[in-house]
Amino acid sequence: MKNRVVLFISILILIGAGLCFANGQKAASSDQVKLTYIYWGSPAEDAAVKQALAGFEAANPTIKVEPMYLPGDLDGSTYNAKMKALAVSNTLPDVGYFRPEEFGNYAENGYFLKLDDLIARDGMGDAYLPQTWLKIKGDTYGAYSAAECQVMWYNKKVLRDAGVPTPPTDYKNAWNWDQFVSYLKMITIDTKGKHPGDSGFNGKDIARYGVSYDLWSAMYYPSVWSNGGDIIGLDGKTVLVDKPETIEAFQNLADLMNVHQVMPHVTGGTNISPTTMLANGQLGFYVTGQWTLLELGAMKDLDFGVAALPIMKKPAQLYVSGVNVVFNSTKHPEEAWALQKWMMDPAKTLDLYTSGLWMPTKKSYYTDPSDIAKWLENDVHPEGFKEAVVDSMAISINEPIKIKNINQIWGDYLNPAIESIWIGDKTASQALKEAAGKIRNSGLLQGSY
Amino acid sequence: MRTRRTGVTICIYLFLVVGACISLIPLLWLIRSSFMSTEDMFKLPLILFPRKLRLMNYVDVFTMVPFARFYANTIFVVVFNIIGAMISNLMIAYGLARIEFKGRGLMFCLSIGTLMLPANVQLIPLFLEWNWFGQIDTFLPLIVPAFFGNAFFIFMLYQFLRTIPRDFDEAAFIDGASYPVIIAKIIFPLMKSAMVVVAIFQFMFTWNDFMSPLLFLNSVNRYTLAVGLRAFISTFYTPWGVLMAAATLTILPLIILFFIAQRYFISGLTVGGIKG
Amino acid sequence: MSLPKKGLNAKRQTLWGWILISPLCLGLTLWVAFPMGLSFYTSLTKWDMLSKAQFVGFQNYIKIFTEDELFLKSIRNTLYFTVLSVPLQMIIALMGALLLNSQVKGKGVFRTIFYLPSLIPIVVSSIMWLWLFNYQYGLINYFLHFLGGGRVKWIDSTQMVIPSLTIMNIWNIGNVIIIFLAGLQGIPNDLMEAVDIDGGRYWHKFRFVILPLLSPIILYNMIINSIKCLQLFVEPYIMTNGGPVNSSLSFVLHIYNNAFKYGKMGTANAMSWVLFILTMCISLIIFKTSKQWIFCEGDKQ
Repeated sequence: MKNRVVLFISILILIGAGLCFANGQKAASSDQVKLTYIYWGSPAEDAAVKQALAGFEAANPTIKVEPMYLPGDLDGSTYNAKMKALAVSNTLPDVGYFRPEEFGNYAENGYFLKLDDLIARDGMGDAYLPQTWLKIKGDTYGAYSAAECQVMWYNKKVLRDAGVPTPPTDYKNAWNWDQFVSYLKMITIDTKGKHPGDSGFNGKDIARYGVSYDLWSAMYYPSVWSNGGDIIGLDGKTVLVDKPETIEAFQNLADLMNVHQVMPHVTGGTNISPTTMLANGQLGFYVTGQWTLLELGAMKDLDFGVAALPIMKKPAQLYVSGVNVVFNSTKHPEEAWALQKWMMDPAKTLDLYTSGLWMPTKKSYYTDPSDIAKWLENDVHPEGFKEAVVDSMAISINEPIKIKNINQIWGDYLNPAIESIWIGDKTASQALKEAAGKIRNSGLLQGSY
Repeated sequence: MRTRRTGVTICIYLFLVVGACISLIPLLWLIRSSFMSTEDMFKLPLILFPRKLRLMNYVDVFTMVPFARFYANTIFVVVFNIIGAMISNLMIAYGLARIEFKGRGLMFCLSIGTLMLPANVQLIPLFLEWNWFGQIDTFLPLIVPAFFGNAFFIFMLYQFLRTIPRDFDEAAFIDGASYPVIIAKIIFPLMKSAMVVVAIFQFMFTWNDFMSPLLFLNSVNRYTLAVGLRAFISTFYTPWGVLMAAATLTILPLIILFFIAQRYFISGLTVGGIKG
Repeated sequence: MSLPKKGLNAKRQTLWGWILISPLCLGLTLWVAFPMGLSFYTSLTKWDMLSKAQFVGFQNYIKIFTEDELFLKSIRNTLYFTVLSVPLQMIIALMGALLLNSQVKGKGVFRTIFYLPSLIPIVVSSIMWLWLFNYQYGLINYFLHFLGGGRVKWIDSTQMVIPSLTIMNIWNIGNVIIIFLAGLQGIPNDLMEAVDIDGGRYWHKFRFVILPLLSPIILYNMIINSIKCLQLFVEPYIMTNGGPVNSSLSFVLHIYNNAFKYGKMGTANAMSWVLFILTMCISLIIFKTSKQWIFCEGDKQ
């Protein structure tokens, strides 16, 4: 018995040792330049990025790229922790993804390569959407990896069954809020088939909901902006979250859950799986990030469409994404820039766009019909995607990430206040006025980067 | 008398079965979900058991990430961790509990103190240290610390040693045995149950540790299971079925191992009769 | 008291002592001294780890007590959780261990089943419980509804969220049980038999043999569990992110947010030291009161 245990353990150790040695054998030849590319993402994104990197290596035989993939991106904090460890030990990689909320601070402290000269030299400035370049005090230090925004999906069968007309796809002429709510009431039914407002409607046993909104910070902006409100001024010193327009926007969203009962209550800040509910016909509309198309596109049985976001007062759209940067500590800035450019070129990473995960940052992919066809004409992107989503990027506004302490303002003050609205403990007016007062006294309003 | 016995036995079984059900349900739920498509998981009314076993999730686990590789890496790290923890902690605990010398009280308090500072603020300093040693992206930062004792185990073994009468060591002393011999020949067999606990716990700590491998390793082909598992959890896209399959695969070896290990919970002190 | 009056002199004994604990000394110097030292230094600075650290003295400590309202709230939440969890855990785990130690068929299977919850990686079990607690689709509410009861808002309500986490914590009790179980193996059979011969009931066995002999292990579990509860982190981090309305914001989650989301390393470290002292005080109270009920075979002759 004892001998067998010893034997077993020694075999394990041998296997392990073998693995270690196998790992050791991959020294690059001396004339090669070695770059490290750091990124996060799902296994699918990982595969697409690896493929793009391999393409880059094939096109540049003298450059070898080492992928540094960090899985498990729950809220970006583990990625940030790793980044900080790398920064403080001077072992940052050469190029890679960067969390937007940390961008300003790192840029200000000189961790990123200034890109203006390189962009001008290669004539790239005008080739990309103007929102793409991230500037701090007039200098460019990075670019958004993709153009991402808010969209509204719907299950076609559910809408047909509920007798709701096909929603408009023109983002400028979408449903207004009241129209939207009235349709949501038509969709929502309890287990006995009654709609909200019917006598005997049981709000606790709802079989099909009208809509589910993703409820987290960036996803609030389009609704708030659409109603003419805002959260914090871009100067980083004015609190706008207690503006009547902002309050009304949040109250509208909360009323979907608590008054109209057309939206499921959230658990732990998020709904568990609205995409699945949409696929199961338990949900009519789903308002979320456009990247969910990756998941929806893979559901072959689901017949879904895309609608223009409902308009409270005026159309609004958000531009949000991870950031791509070249680190200042790189020993090979030319090669690193070449890699950054490669990763920014949709033609090189087309999978990421055709699968629905990303939208391009390059202008021609919004204007040139042949480029548009490259990423939009496939089974994944539903009809109307161009009018409802792609065209709306013309009015998109960047998520305000350059406000100092914005993460803490959200985390410590805004999120809890907004949660108390969702769960019905407070009205939007009470919660947001209270939060605004606290933020003003918190000492966190220190301007912007 | 007999009827009371049966009554008691029934009661014991009743409690055990109820407890077992409560422990099992979430796990069964996990395994059930691992055989389902995400759509079925959320259907209402709830589908308690999948009508058709969907094996695709398990295939996906291995194709979406190098799961087999993560397995091998984890086993490698775990084996060394267990060896290190068993040797170092028993030595240290014996030294602290049984040998009278100046400074042992202080050392004991210091070691307990390390439990009280939350681990996550110490991660970056540790990263800096391993970077000075030039060992980032190797397994050493995940293995070496186990050989230097862990307050959690030191304290535990210390408490266990307090329950063992000193007569045993003393008798050996009279026979002229040295400390290492006493630890190996007398204390270790007496503490078998506690040592099994050390091994199981160390196994689990290492098996499930996420933050240190993520921080200390850079190459995906060195990642451990806990890191690989996180690839299936993200804010934006969580393939639930695959995640559940990956989780099932992660805990399966633990279940088997525990079932084997628990047999060593045999009464260690049958020799207690000697004491008389 | 001192053990080997014969055999080894005091000097050699000291030498042996230090040799045996040498890994501990090395470990403390290598993996503890530097991180703790840096952590303390950082707690006296304003530092985001990117720019140069500014020394600010004890300002961080003063600020967390005077300006940060969430700091006290997070301590309250954590203490509430600890006070709720630890006693329940101790009682249930001890009962479980006694049951699993009795002469029943299939002991091994039961032991494994009771330990199962602890084997599941905490990240996965947190996600699973997120489902189980779900208002609409959760299994718990499904059963309540099935049995004719109403649905309960578990982690969605400010009042229920900490009790919900406690339930989850009690479910995950296997670690405590097996330490007790290992402790029960150390109780000499002859003592148990002696009670049987005296015609004692099980209660007598428990009161006069098991409880005293197990007391060092009970003390250990109490202290370790209190420390663990005070460091509650993964569950609220994954399940609720501290919500709703900060009612599950645990102390360590607050520290983590400050360190890795807000870039306030100085504040985070200052909070860590407050937690250190708080934990120390609680442990000391348990230690001091334990003198009255603890019984150590190995300590007294």
